[in-house]
Amino acid sequence: MKQLILAAAALLALTLSAEAQTVKLGSEGAYPPYNYVDEAGKLGGFDIDVGNEICKRASLTCEWVANEWDTIIPNLIAGNYDAILAGMSITDERKKTIAFTQDYFPPDPSTYIAPVGKNLSLDTPSGLRIGAQGGTIQANWLEQNAKANNTLLTYETADQALADLNAGNLDTILADKSYLAEAATASNGALELTGPELAIGGGVGVGMRQTDTDLLKKFDDALTAMKKDGTLDALITLYFPEREGGPFYTE
Amino acid sequence: MSVLEAIVHEIELLAMPALFNIYFAAAAIPIGFLFAIFLALGKASPNKLLSRLSRGYIYFFRGSPFFIQLFMFYALALSFNISVWKPLGIDWLVLHPLFLGPAILALNTTAYTAEIFYGALTTVPRGEVEGARAYGMSWGQRFRRIVWPHLIRIAWPAYTNEVVFLFHATALVYFTLPVIGDQKDLMNKAGELFERDYKVFLHYSVAALYFLCISLAVFFVFGLIYRRMMRHMPGAVPMRFNFQRMLR
Amino acid sequence: MLDLLPQWLRDGIGDDVAFWIGYFTNGKHLLWYASVQYTVTAALLGGLIALTLGLTAAAIRNSAPAPFRLLASVYINIVRGVPDVLFFLFFPLVFEQLVEWIWSAQICTPETLALNTGQWPPCDAANWRLSTPEYLLMASVSLGIVYGAFTANVIYGALRAVPNGQLEAARAYGMSRFQVLSRIHIRQMWVYALPGLSNVWLLLIKATSLLSLLQIVDFVTWAQRLGSANYSKIAGLVHPDWRWQYYLVLLAFYILVTWLSERVFGALTRRVRRGMPIVAEEAM
Repeated sequence: MKQLILAAAALLALTLSAEAQTVKLGSEGAYPPYNYVDEAGKLGGFDIDVGNEICKRASLTCEWVANEWDTIIPNLIAGNYDAILAGMSITDERKKTIAFTQDYFPPDPSTYIAPVGKNLSLDTPSGLRIGAQGGTIQANWLEQNAKANNTLLTYETADQALADLNAGNLDTILADKSYLAEAATASNGALELTGPELAIGGGVGVGMRQTDTDLLKKFDDALTAMKKDGTLDALITLYFPEREGGPFYTE
Repeated sequence: MSVLEAIVHEIELLAMPALFNIYFAAAAIPIGFLFAIFLALGKASPNKLLSRLSRGYIYFFRGSPFFIQLFMFYALALSFNISVWKPLGIDWLVLHPLFLGPAILALNTTAYTAEIFYGALTTVPRGEVEGARAYGMSWGQRFRRIVWPHLIRIAWPAYTNEVVFLFHATALVYFTLPVIGDQKDLMNKAGELFERDYKVFLHYSVAALYFLCISLAVFFVFGLIYRRMMRHMPGAVPMRFNFQRMLR
Repeated sequence: MLDLLPQWLRDGIGDDVAFWIGYFTNGKHLLWYASVQYTVTAALLGGLIALTLGLTAAAIRNSAPAPFRLLASVYINIVRGVPDVLFFLFFPLVFEQLVEWIWSAQICTPETLALNTGQWPPCDAANWRLSTPEYLLMASVSLGIVYGAFTANVIYGALRAVPNGQLEAARAYGMSRFQVLSRIHIRQMWVYALPGLSNVWLLLIKATSLLSLLQIVDFVTWAQRLGSANYSKIAGLVHPDWRWQYYLVLLAFYILVTWLSERVFGALTRRVRRGMPIVAEEAM
């Protein structure tokens, strides 16, 4: 019996090591322009382009996996993929369970979005229905600062929060400014960015398992090279045309 | 922390969430029961239109998964928010999971219960009904004195099963409707605890224990009600969860 | 996919219709339609496993030493108390942890163990990387285990409904116990079992809607993705929340599958009833 188990374990370990050549990258696929699923059903967006570029420079074969936001970190640790590129902000809380590379997108302020003309007082919100995507830094911030006086609703994806806002079920949403800017433009004047800008996150980085130090170094080296020769800035301008203050990384 | 201590602590943590599941079931059952009677009568009615509509409703809700019904009705209610609920001022109620959850559960259980009641309706002894008509009883009197007592006694065992399945179905509510603040049910809470420390046995087993205990309690109580209902009938089989029978 | 249509047809149907045909057959939608394969696979495989487990458990519960009968009884009755969702989530996690635990006992070195203290898995090499085929297999097995209990209940009842005289006559002819079981008992049981089995099959199909909970990008997940409002031009068509329409399509699909299954079971029942005296009980 023990021989059988050993043999099975050896066989599976063999297949494991055969797979180790391909690096799997995980993304959410529901957070344009960082990541989305395009018309052909493939993952696309800023994160995907950055990931592909990193893999090219580090001479790795990369495969993309789409995973929902609320299980994206547990599934990284469980090994379903090896790195997360999903517009994930670097925070101390997350650093406890996973490791981050250097940031590949500068710290993005978070802000509120609301229907035009609502005139909500958002510096100290009270009595409002505020929405956010579950498991994000914004949801965390709201829990700590706005929960006492407001009703907080969390959603599985950012799109669902926007859908509720459009349907009138929410007063406002707190999310990344770069994400909301797109939504406001696409709403044709129905929604507007409003309220104070809060600096919650620490830039967007690639998340990895804490034990994968080799892979982390490869990714970091590739990112440094991309920053030096301006490729990263070019990608940022491509996907975030409204973002002011660039170039961010080129010397 | 020893295993026993961990389990007891877990039971404490999951006690409050269990109340949400019980609330959902308790809110949906009476509504489902009431409407199912009308629906079953509708299905058995000689009126073609009423009968077709009732059959259609039952077929729709029994033929599709409850999980997807939850998704669909939430999205549907949301799409009517600006046009209907807000003008009426009830949007805070309609879209709240504590209202919508039992509402969709009630829609679902009405269909299943109506099917059970309809099946029982067809086995009510026709001779007794005809005798009552011969005596000049009105429809209402016939229903109250003859049809209903037979119906409820024949349907009770299957209805008990349906109530327990309904209770199990409440586990799906918070997978689909938004979670407001700290209102979490058993599955949600167990999942949240699991993501923190990956102790699958501890969290999910205790959640399963809650479901098992409450299900057994339902079986027991409904069994008692059945015995009371059948106390005057000859040879009624006691509906107990009988350990002897498990061994035989 | 619009380009598969000849030009004269495309001109004939007008721009609007052509747009919608193109939209509903773009890559994303085709992936949605293709993901039905997961639902179908899980249902068929799960059904097969359920039938096997059900037959075994019912046979054991019918005639085996008392401890086995008790085990079979516990297995059959536990699904009456625990929701299938819970089993569905529980079983794959447990199985994965069990496999990883066995591996870690074999291939973990003390250094790698020290790296991962307090976390799971015990060491990195013992991490079992799961992807869709593995999840699908585990989902099917979960479904099989849960609905196997229901099936066992149905088959147990059906086994007891077979007239005893038939079994006694078979024994009198000198057939061995196994021959009695296979030639007479199980063959005759189907007529009583089919109504109950059709019920269990319908429950099983509806349970396949839960595949998305096991990280399988199935029919339901795609409908969510496609229906969710899109506010970004680069991601494709900008559209408001269409979720309830997409869910309605899902419901229609399941009702269609239910209807088809009822027809199939009806045909099966008619076939199995050939040459059997019409029994009043199964006319329900």
